[in-house]
Amino acid sequence: MPYSYGSRIGKSMSEDKLDLLKGTLDLLVLQTLSAMGAMHGFGIARRIEQISGDQLRMNEGTIYASLVRLQNRRLIKAAWGTSDNNRKAKYYSLTRAGEKELAEETATWKRLSSVIGRVLATSGETGE
Amino acid sequence: MKARVLEALSRLLSVFRRHRLDEDFEEELSIHIEMLTEENQHRGMTPAEARRQAILRVGGLNATREIHRTARGIRLVEDFFWSSVLDFKLGTRMMKKYPGLTVVGLIGMGIAIAIGGAAYRVIDTIIDPVLPLDEGDRIVTIHNINPTLSDREDRKTHLHDLITWREAMDTIKEFGAYRTIQRNLITPGGRVEPMRIAEITASGFRIARVPPFVGRYFDDQDERAGSEPVVVIGYDIWQARFAGGADILGRTLQLGTTLHRVIGVMPRGFAFPVNNGLWIPMRLDPASFERGQAPAIEVFGRLAPGATMSEARVQAATIAQRLAAEYPTTHQHSSTRVIPYAHIYIERPESLWVFHLIQLFFSALLVVIGTNISILVYARTVTRMDEFAVRTALGASRTRVVAQLFVEALVLSGSAALLGLAAANAILKEVSVLLVQFGGAQVPFWWNFNINSATVEYAAVLAILGAAIVGVLPALKVTGRGVHAGLQSLGSGGVVRHLGRTWTVLIVGQVAIAVMLLPLAVGTAVEAFSKTTEFGFASSEFLLSSLQLDQEREGEFGTRYADVQSELIRRLEAEPGISGVTLTTDVPGSESYFPVEVEKDVGSKGSLDGTLGAGETYIGVSKVDLDYFGMFEIPILAGRGFGTGDLMPAATSVIVNRTFVEKVLGGGSVLGQRVRYTQKGQQPGPWYEIVGIVPDFPKPSKPNSSTSKLYHPMVPSDIHPIVLAVRVRGSEPSSFADHLREVTAAVDPMLRLGPVTTLDEISDEIWVRISAMILGLVTLSVILLSAAGIYALMSVTVEQRRREIGIRIALGADRRRILVTIFGRAAFRLGIGVFAGTLPIAVVDWTSNGEALGGHSALVFSCIAAIMITVGLIATVGPARRGLRICPAQALKENG
Repeated sequence: MPYSYGSRIGKSMSEDKLDLLKGTLDLLVLQTLSAMGAMHGFGIARRIEQISGDQLRMNEGTIYASLVRLQNRRLIKAAWGTSDNNRKAKYYSLTRAGEKELAEETATWKRLSSVIGRVLATSGETGE
Repeated sequence: MKARVLEALSRLLSVFRRHRLDEDFEEELSIHIEMLTEENQHRGMTPAEARRQAILRVGGLNATREIHRTARGIRLVEDFFWSSVLDFKLGTRMMKKYPGLTVVGLIGMGIAIAIGGAAYRVIDTIIDPVLPLDEGDRIVTIHNINPTLSDREDRKTHLHDLITWREAMDTIKEFGAYRTIQRNLITPGGRVEPMRIAEITASGFRIARVPPFVGRYFDDQDERAGSEPVVVIGYDIWQARFAGGADILGRTLQLGTTLHRVIGVMPRGFAFPVNNGLWIPMRLDPASFERGQAPAIEVFGRLAPGATMSEARVQAATIAQRLAAEYPTTHQHSSTRVIPYAHIYIERPESLWVFHLIQLFFSALLVVIGTNISILVYARTVTRMDEFAVRTALGASRTRVVAQLFVEALVLSGSAALLGLAAANAILKEVSVLLVQFGGAQVPFWWNFNINSATVEYAAVLAILGAAIVGVLPALKVTGRGVHAGLQSLGSGGVVRHLGRTWTVLIVGQVAIAVMLLPLAVGTAVEAFSKTTEFGFASSEFLLSSLQLDQEREGEFGTRYADVQSELIRRLEAEPGISGVTLTTDVPGSESYFPVEVEKDVGSKGSLDGTLGAGETYIGVSKVDLDYFGMFEIPILAGRGFGTGDLMPAATSVIVNRTFVEKVLGGGSVLGQRVRYTQKGQQPGPWYEIVGIVPDFPKPSKPNSSTSKLYHPMVPSDIHPIVLAVRVRGSEPSSFADHLREVTAAVDPMLRLGPVTTLDEISDEIWVRISAMILGLVTLSVILLSAAGIYALMSVTVEQRRREIGIRIALGADRRRILVTIFGRAAFRLGIGVFAGTLPIAVVDWTSNGEALGGHSALVFSCIAAIMITVGLIATVGPARRGLRICPAQALKENG
């Protein structure tokens, strides 16, 4: 499955791109919408790729699965609109619940990555 | 938690919005691909390559769609739901495509579900009743049970025990009691109406927790002896007798001889404790009665907060033991029972299995009818073998095909359930009307036979069961090995050719079942639609009713009864519209039956050796007024009628009917022969002498249904209550009933007539007719199904041979000869079926010496054969004609 529900760090390292960890795409989508305001699926995908410096391995179709999940959880809402180049597009934006969720998840992620970072740093010292 | 619930809800809702969501996503995806394609083209790719790369970038179109759909909802539910929707649509189409099968299925299963559903509602109401009062399940009834006493005798101890229970039981918070008395209700300008009145304690209303609609109900002051007579009336009586007037409080109404002041009106629908519309305070003082001599009362109460039924039972049992020790004369054999109030009519919980058995019987009807319909569906399913073979080849599993057929059948059985519920509703309304007609105010107010959600659920279960029988059984049979064979021989008609033996068995079985049921169906229908009793004269001119003299206290009759009775007869005879009045103990045709023995001949009077054989014969016995035979225009065939001399204490005259002479005495001269009552383990009664013979009355409707009857003369004032029969001439008898009541109440307000009916109405044994009609309906529906089965099977059999017929015509065979061959085979199968069905009937008829078919065996068998063969042959005509019309070229093409 292109959208990774499991870390394949070893493989992605060898291909110079990172697979997303489970659940992180939803967080990235929320953050993108928070930072950029209402966006369509193509725009969100493009934005995540730009910000990540093209480091993430991601099939763009998986963005839509993430958007549906977030909609089901009432974290984002959608409405049809017109894009800059006058094309019909579905625009997604954060709900209040989405903002709250983003704040909580960001805090959790930061704590988790810091803990993991510390543990890995310790392991590195021990291993040396 | 809330977020999860919302998410689950969204996923579930997405199941039903699949099409819209799919369309939305397709649009979104295509826009995304377009944008990517444009981007790629800007990078210098060709349009085709740009689009290819774009599709790769999103991860492939189909994969993306799948991921989206998985993320969106619940795939399994979605797939199941939408395939079921398709199956339902298919089921509806099938109903339209096969109207014959649809009609038969709807009628058959509809009748089964109607009867099953109605039976469920009635039985559920009786065995699991709900008291529609606030916390009605906490209202209990408490009573003694003494196996050595009758129920009524036992309840005579309750007035004294009520004091003990009130003092000693803390598991029951408040106690109430009532007894039912009957009085004429007389209001100024209103008609006289016999009423069942609840004489109830003030606490009874508090226990019911229903406030009065107007005024108040009783307080403890009203219960005191000597207080002003007061009454609380029901909403309906307020409307009917006082036109719902606001000035109702303080007005009076007469119950028997006593005027009561109205102090309150209870709201509409309130009928506690049984089905009452009038309440007067109970003023029974235990001090006025010896223990065991008080009037019988019913005691009830409300469980104390926190107390359970079993705690109340334990406490009641302990008190019962104490009472048994203190009052051995009345309580030695007594135990005390506490049961939910609504269960007072099911006093023996151990007998509940009988109700479940009855329910099972009625529900089993669906299995019988369903099996029959399943044969028809099987015939249809076989013709769709090609369709299933293709579906299997395309990857559908056997379960999927079976599920499809199940859902198709569910559409049919579900529609039948809707019809069945409508019919059940009609049946239940009829049952309610009958209950009111026969039980009146004795039918408890909480017996409500309206269709409720439980009935609908039960019908739904029956519909699913029906669908399983009608759809799954044939589906399993058809999707066995056959479907693979079907795949191999797709389009060549090879599958159906292998079913010859199955068809034969099915046809023969169907015909046999139908033949076996025909005599029963005809017999039941005749029973249902023929009048059970014939009087042989203008029976609608006779009004009958029970006549009773109410008494304030038991045994205070004195000579009053004889006086009022003769005064009533005098006044009635003086009425211009009345041509005759008589009294009897029993309504004609509803006599009580007693065992008697009879002397063999006059010469051996008093000798037991002379009695007839083992001689106990049950005969109908009535005591009648001297002018009874004259009033009903019953001629004396031999001997004499009754005279005043027969009323002397030493007189022994009896009159018997013709059947008594023939069946009991074996014909001949019977005048002067003697008869006496016998009862096992007891000395026989005195001898009575036959002084006259009368014809059978009422006239039996069937040759063998006459019963032996014996009439005694009576002094009417010795009998209470008694049946009053009045012959009305010149006016509509049924409209005379009100006047009859007025005349009766004018003689004495305490003299009360029961329900007034014409002799016609009594002879309509309505329950017998209804049960006979239901049985007849069921049997006829089974016959209908069987006939339809034969039709379907014959049609399919001939249809299978259609190509063979076409080819034979192409090869130059004579059309007439082909026709004979087809009919010959059909007739052969029908013949075997008729024989197989007739054989058991013939055996039963033979073993019952011809009684089973009433001596008409030849006629019955001829009719059966004619009906079944006609049905079978008609079934073959259509398909055979289609076969004969087939173009030989077309037939050869089909065979190729």
